[in-house]
Amino acid sequence: MIGRMLRLFWRQMNVQLQIRTFNLYTLLLLFVQPFVFSAVGMVLSQVAGNQKPDLVYTVIGGGILGMWSGLVFSSTFDIGRDRRDGTLEFIIGSPTPYSVVEAVRTLTNVLTGLVSLLAAFLVAVLVFDYTLDQVQVLPALVSLLLIVAGMWAIGVFLANFLVWSRLSGSIVEFFEFPVAVVCGFMYPIRILPEWMQAISAVFPIRWALEGLQAALYGVSDMNFYAGRWGMALALGLLFWLTAHWMERKVHDLIRVSGEMSSI
Amino acid sequence: MSNNAIEVNQLHKEFTTRVGFWSGRRKTTVAVEDISFNVHQGELFGLLGPNGAGKTTTTKVLSTLLLPTRGSVRVLGMDVVTETRTVRKRIGFTFGGARGLYGRLSGHDNLRYFAELYGLEPALARKRIAEMLEVVDLTERRNDRVENYSSGMVQRLHLARALLHDPELIYLDEPTVGIDPVGARELRQTIKNLIALKKTILLTTHYMAEAEELCDRIAIINHGRIIALDTPASLKRQVSGDTIFEIEIDAALLDELQRQLQLINHRLTIQVSEAYPNKKVNVRTDQPEAVLKYLTLFISSGHVHGLEVRNHSLEDVYVSIIQGKQE
Repeated sequence: MIGRMLRLFWRQMNVQLQIRTFNLYTLLLLFVQPFVFSAVGMVLSQVAGNQKPDLVYTVIGGGILGMWSGLVFSSTFDIGRDRRDGTLEFIIGSPTPYSVVEAVRTLTNVLTGLVSLLAAFLVAVLVFDYTLDQVQVLPALVSLLLIVAGMWAIGVFLANFLVWSRLSGSIVEFFEFPVAVVCGFMYPIRILPEWMQAISAVFPIRWALEGLQAALYGVSDMNFYAGRWGMALALGLLFWLTAHWMERKVHDLIRVSGEMSSI
Repeated sequence: MSNNAIEVNQLHKEFTTRVGFWSGRRKTTVAVEDISFNVHQGELFGLLGPNGAGKTTTTKVLSTLLLPTRGSVRVLGMDVVTETRTVRKRIGFTFGGARGLYGRLSGHDNLRYFAELYGLEPALARKRIAEMLEVVDLTERRNDRVENYSSGMVQRLHLARALLHDPELIYLDEPTVGIDPVGARELRQTIKNLIALKKTILLTTHYMAEAEELCDRIAIINHGRIIALDTPASLKRQVSGDTIFEIEIDAALLDELQRQLQLINHRLTIQVSEAYPNKKVNVRTDQPEAVLKYLTLFISSGHVHGLEVRNHSLEDVYVSIIQGKQE
């Protein structure tokens, strides 16, 4: 079973990379867009009167935003393409449950998005002399893992809407920036009004991201991390279980409506 | 299990769509209306009908991609609604046209991906992919991107994909659409080879000659209903006794010919089609001698450019049945 999943993951990764290689849209998504986000962050930081921009929130925040945007756009693009090209019917009509295919594909997209974060991190180190001395490595890695898991869980949740209706693509894309705003990708979440913080509390990314930001600042209090990791894990699990429950419903709904072949 | 690979009983499928953006009104379209038929094991069964008749909808229900609104469908003894996953393991299907494959991937990589989705172990997948590429004559071009394939090659790759996991039952929806005559002939030969391998095939097509050449039995479907179901020979016998004259004449003489033919006091059907710059007149009659007498006048005038006398093809039967039902 594990061998089968790994093979499917490898094959899906292969398909995704071949479809995306030399695709200008992908280059824009992975490299140019995070760079623009980071630049905007630095300008805003300067306007706010900071002598030196906060690199954790500007450059690395831009990388996280790039990951998130990449996930939203890739998922919308992939399912839209499958519907348009007629491959969605053949994937759903295969014996492999579509939830498995989508889980693997979303993971591929999230992991591909790490390239954005890595690029942003390299820019911070190489261009802006960001030092790694204060970084808490283990909490940073665990938090990053939970960011990946959280984005993946939200991704498979959103994929259900994209499969259910061809019209839902624009609605899913609409959520790109609101989620980024309420989750504090590029600024400390405490500066947001309380009602916005309350909204962000339902997203596992927000909690894992707080962990990553703290680890990059060198916070060593494990109790701080435990609470946030616990929330990220629990909410990620909730998103995944909801997605799993929805998948069965959506599978039946599209077989009633014939929506999987509509273009 | 019975001898039937497919058992369709009172299958009914309708789609409901919203009318307008603000209006809450809904429109229901009946795609398939209470149809019943069986397909025997090892049989090549044809589903014929005009565009929008319900052929593809029926195929999609049989391949578990659509749920029936009511009625029951059993495939290889299994219910398509409750035993979806098991059915999917044992069937293969293709839909006509260029859609359904990844254009930026090579033919080989497309097959590798779908082999994975069908759960083939790596060694078996390698073996089956090589075999299927050979069967559909794409071994030489296996590493080329599909977006560079011709329509015929795409259709053959579709077939290879449908056969990868060695299914017992195969649905071929318009497999030769958009293919040149040579490619279509090769594909028909491949389909015949599958029958020799004891596969059961359900074929939907617009091409009557193809159905006549390949199918053991044929169901003609129109407006979601089956209006005829029999062997090609029996269907042809349903309108037997008539002789068909195909006459190509100057367009200017069309009215005169039609007027003369109408004078014949017997049952006959006249159809006119373009054969630029002339007209082609198709006359079906049970009194060929009388028609021939009138035609002799035109032949001697030198304005007849072609005359063919023949018996019924399946296409004639199809047109007769479809038009008969519409009238």
